[in-house]
Amino acid sequence: MSAPESRPAPEPRSPLAGHLKPGRHGAAGSRPLVLREVPATIVELAARRGRAAELAAAVRGALALDLPPPGRGAAAAGATALWIQPDTWLVVAPRGTEGALAAHLKGVAGAAGSVVDQSHGKTLLHLAGADARAALGKGCRIDLDPAAFGPGRAAVTQMAQVGCVLYQHDDVPSFSLIVPSSYAIPFFDWLCHSAAEFGYEVP
Amino acid sequence: MTRMHRRPAMRARTGGHIDRDTTLTFRFDGRELTGHPGDTLASALLAHGVRIVGRSFKYHRPRGIYTAGPEEPNALAGIGTGARRTPNTKMTAAELYQGMVAESQNRWPSLRFDALAVNSALARFLPAGFYYKTFMWPASFWEKVYEPAIRRAAGLGRAATEPDPDHYEAAHAHCDVLVVGAGAAGLAAARAAGESGARVILAEQDFLLGGGLLADPVHEGWRREMTAALEALGNVVRMPRTTVFGYYEQNMLGAIERVADHLPEPPPHTARQRYWTIRAREVVLATGADERLIAFPGNDRPGVMLAGAARAYANRFGVLAGRRAVLFTNNDAAYATVEALAAAGADRVTVVDTRPLGPAAAAARTRGVEVLPGHEVVGAHGGRGLYSVEARARGGDGGFQIDADLLCVSGGYNPAIHLASQSRTPLAWDSGIAAFVPGTAAGQRSAGAARGRFGIAAAARDGMEAGGAAAAAAGFARRPAFELPAGGADPDLTVAPFWEVTARGKSFVDLQHDVTTADIRLAHREGYEHIEHAKRYTTHGMATDQGKTGGLVGAAVLAEARGLPVEAVGMPTFRPYVTPITWGAVAGHHIRREFAPIRRTQLHDWHVRRGAEFLEAGLWLRPAFYPRPGEAPWDAILREGAAVRRSVGICDVSTLGKIDLQGADAAFFLDRLYMNTFSTLAVGRARYGLMLREDGMVFDDGTTTRLADDHFFITTTTANAGRVMEHMEFHAQTVWPELDVQFTSVTDQWAAMSVAGPNARRTLAKVVAGLDLDNAAFPFMGVADATLAGCPVRVFRISFSGELAFEVATPAGYAAIVWEAILEAGREFAIEPYGVEALGLLRIEKGHVAGAELNGQTTAADVGLERMAKKKGDFVGKALAGRPGLTDPARPRLVGVRAVAPDQQIRPGAHLLEAGSDRSLGWLASVTKSVEPGGWIGLALLSGGAARHGQRLQASFPLHGESVEVEICSPHFVDPENARVRA
Repeated sequence: MSAPESRPAPEPRSPLAGHLKPGRHGAAGSRPLVLREVPATIVELAARRGRAAELAAAVRGALALDLPPPGRGAAAAGATALWIQPDTWLVVAPRGTEGALAAHLKGVAGAAGSVVDQSHGKTLLHLAGADARAALGKGCRIDLDPAAFGPGRAAVTQMAQVGCVLYQHDDVPSFSLIVPSSYAIPFFDWLCHSAAEFGYEVP
Repeated sequence: MTRMHRRPAMRARTGGHIDRDTTLTFRFDGRELTGHPGDTLASALLAHGVRIVGRSFKYHRPRGIYTAGPEEPNALAGIGTGARRTPNTKMTAAELYQGMVAESQNRWPSLRFDALAVNSALARFLPAGFYYKTFMWPASFWEKVYEPAIRRAAGLGRAATEPDPDHYEAAHAHCDVLVVGAGAAGLAAARAAGESGARVILAEQDFLLGGGLLADPVHEGWRREMTAALEALGNVVRMPRTTVFGYYEQNMLGAIERVADHLPEPPPHTARQRYWTIRAREVVLATGADERLIAFPGNDRPGVMLAGAARAYANRFGVLAGRRAVLFTNNDAAYATVEALAAAGADRVTVVDTRPLGPAAAAARTRGVEVLPGHEVVGAHGGRGLYSVEARARGGDGGFQIDADLLCVSGGYNPAIHLASQSRTPLAWDSGIAAFVPGTAAGQRSAGAARGRFGIAAAARDGMEAGGAAAAAAGFARRPAFELPAGGADPDLTVAPFWEVTARGKSFVDLQHDVTTADIRLAHREGYEHIEHAKRYTTHGMATDQGKTGGLVGAAVLAEARGLPVEAVGMPTFRPYVTPITWGAVAGHHIRREFAPIRRTQLHDWHVRRGAEFLEAGLWLRPAFYPRPGEAPWDAILREGAAVRRSVGICDVSTLGKIDLQGADAAFFLDRLYMNTFSTLAVGRARYGLMLREDGMVFDDGTTTRLADDHFFITTTTANAGRVMEHMEFHAQTVWPELDVQFTSVTDQWAAMSVAGPNARRTLAKVVAGLDLDNAAFPFMGVADATLAGCPVRVFRISFSGELAFEVATPAGYAAIVWEAILEAGREFAIEPYGVEALGLLRIEKGHVAGAELNGQTTAADVGLERMAKKKGDFVGKALAGRPGLTDPARPRLVGVRAVAPDQQIRPGAHLLEAGSDRSLGWLASVTKSVEPGGWIGLALLSGGAARHGQRLQASFPLHGESVEVEICSPHFVDPENARVRA
């Protein structure tokens, strides 16, 4: 079925609308964490059976993006791909026209891939700061120490009883956290609670 | 805090790890006392000469401070006030703070006079197993009489009843080497591992690092040097006030960090305690050793204390536990206590040594200490304190009194093997120290006193080796180099096993649970010979101190009764927790509304604003109904249901499970998962599907839409969304891995709202763009994309209510816009939002089955859906659905039920009986007050099924003493021809 022609869709409402309180929170300190929601387009891309190489080549050709191996993410101009399960990735990009990235990826993948738009179904949070590992460690069972994890690493895990995709961007360290939108509020509340000891800022 | 206070009588002028420049005031049982930073509650009380700090569990005997650490059996207090009061806190481990309020426990009305001390005189009638034997009959007395009385008399402390104002949190840590315990062995292990470059965590239950070093002024320089060196190592995390309580699979250990227990209240944004889960590549257990008691009559008297504790109070806290002391020992190491007491100003120390004169005894004599070799203590006398110690030549008659206010006891040392034992490391008997020592296991080793390497220098050397070996095993080969402690020869720690003095009177092997040597022997006589049985029969070692001081002594008494060596009898299995932890720490963040995450739809805020009453559906919160001010629940539900039947209503159905399925084999996959066929479904059409479990029972139902040849959109019930996903994963991954299918949950991607009622089309036609909703263009079970208020939507012509209905799905971020636009469009038709209750009402009227009927015990035929089974081809559950028991024609079948008197309430769960019979023919699954037929109706599963339509039966609910006359009818109360949904 094809979507009917229409004018651009209105701005979607975040599941955290009215829940994010901009400002400084928690303990006073010189190096607060920074916690924010990032409006994003999130598309799930899965290779059809036996066609992962074909899909990877198509995506590389069209987006200059290398679909990463297990446990990793890969960033290109405008989009980041995160491995989430065998032959399956989340492609994360800044929010754009409703459905556009999914449609583009379906065009690129053709019969080699299955494409599902999850932009509304998943909520992207960004946590950065020197104490980000300690804050996440209050729920994250994965070893985030530089010796074990680092920039470019991705993981699918549970924190505070919520399934979460985790991606480390840099050595600040800063992390992307992707959770199902219906769990966004309890997850965000837990994260705020965990960050309060260090102080945090919501821009 | 800085007010001038007189120096307490038993506090030395100098020495120890306390800050005499700062004075802390605290209250104990209402009395204001003082102490210093560095004190425990116990050391501060001893400094003031406080002797009795509690009453015992069973006999209510007066008890004093017995140890200087977490192995304490006696000195338990409730610390804090109001909601922050924590019972059963060990005074010997509680760090003193300004303003601490502590209360002794297990005494009524006061410590000095306790009404239940009469139990002590009745001891003959309170043997082991007393409760089992006495309170056996009549059985009805248990709940009403015996148990409340026992609970009032027994119990240990009182929990606070107000909600805890503090917060607790979980935390996870990973390391190459975890060192448990920061005594000489632990410090050396941590430094050795740290200097090799490994990531090290050093966990210590005490608030100071040093363990036994803290009571050893000779090695203080080395302790300081080691702690400074560890502080300088960036890869070593030191965790004081952290008790490792459990050792679990694959080197996962649990620990409690008491972040703020040493403060009157936690600082802002700080947890009171943190529950750590530590995953370590290698573990070094440097948990030290626990001194053990000797069983003799009166060994529980206030003033009796372990020798090492008396030494710790003198050397670490500058507190003299008694002026006229007796040391009762079977080993040389305990002689260090003599020196410590003398140095702290004791008037006199007399040594009663069970052994013939040995080197330590001879050396003490040359220093002028009176030593009685080959003697034993047969009694400790006094009322509320100790006045005299009775001794005699070993095994002899009679005895003589020694004037004393302190009796120090040492029966040798047990390596603290609790954690090693929990990890299932084999234990071996070391006859030199008469104790069990742990072996090694993959990924762990014990070091120092924890494996019988007693003495500071020996423990430090052993720790350094263990730390280096652990780091090497974790892949860090660099050899550490640092000085081991010098000066002070290690004492000889071999002991002559000596467990018990045989004499008249109560000799305790478990001070906290009041278990005596006589109780152990009684257990043996009554057949509880195995150590695990004797433990449970007597409760020996089951108290909060886990038998750390007397566990092995009890085992030795049992061994003697059985005529076996103690190593053959062994110790009961050690289990978590090594020391008790608070429930708050276990629960952490997940209490009250955070107990489990609450899932909210994108319309949640609208429902709240509209005044909805919410209902929990799994983790979801769903609006149950939207009462108007003053409106009764049923009135609201019937109003909402009536709006759907008569005009139009709108319901948030976003919580339904939604799964996107793609792949060349998608249709084939669905044919195998569902009992009906999907490969024949046309693109742009939806079909109702029924899924069975492997065992042939109905699993779940829902509609599935074909979006393209290789693309389907599946819906599940709210309750089963996760389970259906798992079911699909299981079959795709393990049963048919050859199929080309990809699927993922899109439950949160799509918000969905049902627009139902005769005016549903008129309402939507006003706002839906790009789709002709006319019946001919968009028939029942049609699906199409459109826009609504500028938002992309997918419209499904499906109905749960039995009315003309459309389900409008939209990417969740647009839900509020779409919802509001439909409400606005429906205003002229008096559109009503309706909740889960009206949804249930409508589906019961229509005869649609839901969770109450599809409860895992019903077949497709039971609920009237047997015709859905495909004729050709296999599907999950097909084979087992053919079992005789599942095809029995007498199985209860779905019927409708209406109350003969329409206003008479019927209840789900009621049994259906023929009048005058007590044989159940079936049961009511769902009931509701109804809109269209009016009155109470329900769906039931009834033997005989349709053959009973028109019969009258009794709906019996014995719990409420109810029996209601009902008439059996078709389950389709509304529009049985299905004309409305196709209108």
